[in-house]
Amino acid sequence: MHPEIARIQSMLDGEGYVADEALATSVYLAIQLRKPLLIEGGAGVGKTEVAKVMARALDADLIRLQCYEGLDATTSLYEWNYQRQLLHIRMLEHSEVPLEAKEREIFSESFLLKRPLLQAITHDRAPVLLIDECDRVDEEWEAFLLEVLSDWQVTIPEIGTIKAKHVPYVVLTSNRTRELGDALRRRCLYLWIDYPTFEKELAIVRRKVPGVNGQLAGQIAAFMQFVRRAKLEKTPGLAETLDWSAALIALHRGHLDREAVEQTLGVLFKHRDDATLMRTQWLDHLLRGVEEVEREPVPWNQETINRVAERVLPK
Amino acid sequence: MMSEAGDLTTHVVGFCRTLRGRGLTVGPKEAADALRALAAVDVSNRRECYLALRAVLTSRYDDLAVFDEVFWEFWNPPVPRGTDADQPPPDLPALAADGQTPALLSWLDEALQTQGEETIPAYSPVELLTQKDFSAFSDDELDEVSRLVVAIARRVATRLSRRMRQVRRGHLLDLRRTIRHSLRRGGEIVELAYRKRRIQKTRVVLLADVSGSMDLYSRFLIQFIFALQHALGQVETLVFSTSLTRVTDALSESDLRAALAQVAHTVPDWSGGTKIGQSLRTFLTRYGDALLTPRTVAIVISDGWDTGDIDVLEEAMGELHARAGRVIWLNPLLGSPGYEPICQGMRVALPYVDVFASAHNLDSLRRLERHLALRRR
Repeated sequence: MHPEIARIQSMLDGEGYVADEALATSVYLAIQLRKPLLIEGGAGVGKTEVAKVMARALDADLIRLQCYEGLDATTSLYEWNYQRQLLHIRMLEHSEVPLEAKEREIFSESFLLKRPLLQAITHDRAPVLLIDECDRVDEEWEAFLLEVLSDWQVTIPEIGTIKAKHVPYVVLTSNRTRELGDALRRRCLYLWIDYPTFEKELAIVRRKVPGVNGQLAGQIAAFMQFVRRAKLEKTPGLAETLDWSAALIALHRGHLDREAVEQTLGVLFKHRDDATLMRTQWLDHLLRGVEEVEREPVPWNQETINRVAERVLPK
Repeated sequence: MMSEAGDLTTHVVGFCRTLRGRGLTVGPKEAADALRALAAVDVSNRRECYLALRAVLTSRYDDLAVFDEVFWEFWNPPVPRGTDADQPPPDLPALAADGQTPALLSWLDEALQTQGEETIPAYSPVELLTQKDFSAFSDDELDEVSRLVVAIARRVATRLSRRMRQVRRGHLLDLRRTIRHSLRRGGEIVELAYRKRRIQKTRVVLLADVSGSMDLYSRFLIQFIFALQHALGQVETLVFSTSLTRVTDALSESDLRAALAQVAHTVPDWSGGTKIGQSLRTFLTRYGDALLTPRTVAIVISDGWDTGDIDVLEEAMGELHARAGRVIWLNPLLGSPGYEPICQGMRVALPYVDVFASAHNLDSLRRLERHLALRRR
């Protein structure tokens, strides 16, 4: 492995992120080629986390832009500090300063409120810019973003053109609620993060959940692998696994049983239909699956899971 | 991996071209990035090259499978694991054009078998290739429909987008301009400047079933589609039976008669059987990216008789529901008393439908109007 990729992987690892080679390579290339990294995948697989960890690994600041429908240039780029401007005008009311000078003054940089994109551009060290859930914005804003990503400069009518001092490292995440345009995609490196394998999930649970014992960790990881085979409105991701584990620990559960699962079902399933489907049709199979896995020879791996799932789970 | 840089460049370019041939958006810029990426990794490590090229050359989930396939075909005439060293220079693989045949054949077999067992009315797996003559419309009917549809279209077109509706109570204050104006009056705010709301038209994608089981209603549909097309600039019309055809352009003819003749001409299997799921899937793959946005209202007009793979239909409907702002399903049978949507196709589709309505007469079309205003979930 390229030493730099290995370094990034161990760095991500050191930050508590269990990264596979694909992820490390993509992060490395995003840094090397200075191209934005577009990360897609189901909810809760750790897309956002990549940017956070990347910032820590690069020792750079993280600037986050949370996208939503209706996000526009004003809220993402800059706005004038109107209150300050008004106050300033008041103060200048009786001065002899000519009008043009007053105007120039209140539309100067000190009255500018920098929103994430402008912050990222004017930062004195290259930051990591996280554009989260960028599938939620509308096409106009996507076009605007594309422009910023290609030129790394923005024009503010009152001030002029501001060019980036340092090109930020950009991470975009998307849940695929809307397909992003080709132009934006082509500008980015692409990384798809799948739901974790059994091995990876087990490693993460062990690592991230304080106080979890080996048996419970194995049961949780196996249970989650089985759950994801159901057709759900919202398949629980890693984030849910961790929340659920924490909930089980908080309830002092040393192992999985029906009661423990039923008590904590709400942590895993955020959709009422999902919770009902699980409780009424899947729970028995899931618990039997976990039992059967435990009868399999150790170490358990994805193949163990697949084998048991084939045997136990509803088709 | 490769001995000389020149070789590598040639191969990477060839590889990119192959990917492009398989439908990936890979151009010269991506090829250049691929070379830069390879320069940044250890080219003697095949896995690393694979990951680097994948990061640069794919841009969506659906690309991944294609990429894998092409990568192994192109760079890797099967070599035992662990021998990463010298590789023979890869040949440009001849693409297997008939790669899909087995799947297609088994699917066809299945379709033919199920036909024997079930007696679903008016379904035929064979494209009937019927050429229809649409010249028999009565003129008052036409006028009435056109008038109604123009009314519908006008309402939808001027309806404000949700974002702008939120600020309807007070107009949107433009502070920047307000302050600028106030400066001229010594900082006194005399006039308030407002931002204007933008008018955002709803996009409509119309997916009309023109198979045999829908024959009775096809006249209506065509009139409806045609008028809608003219009143809104942003209507896309696609018709399907056993396959899907985009007829937007054909319907843009200004003369209805000519337009209908043209559509019948463009759609060879008019009044053939139905493959709803298959057709929707084709629509999503081919046109989904371009046509579906949260501001799109997708209208499907069909009776739901589908003997294709029901899972395909369900999955396609799920995706359509997720990607469009609203899904309206018009089923002319809903107009007949006592009709229950129990046929399998209709049953799996219903959970993904926001509005289920009839379209069997003018009244039902008129009622459709209120469903077209797009409320986001």
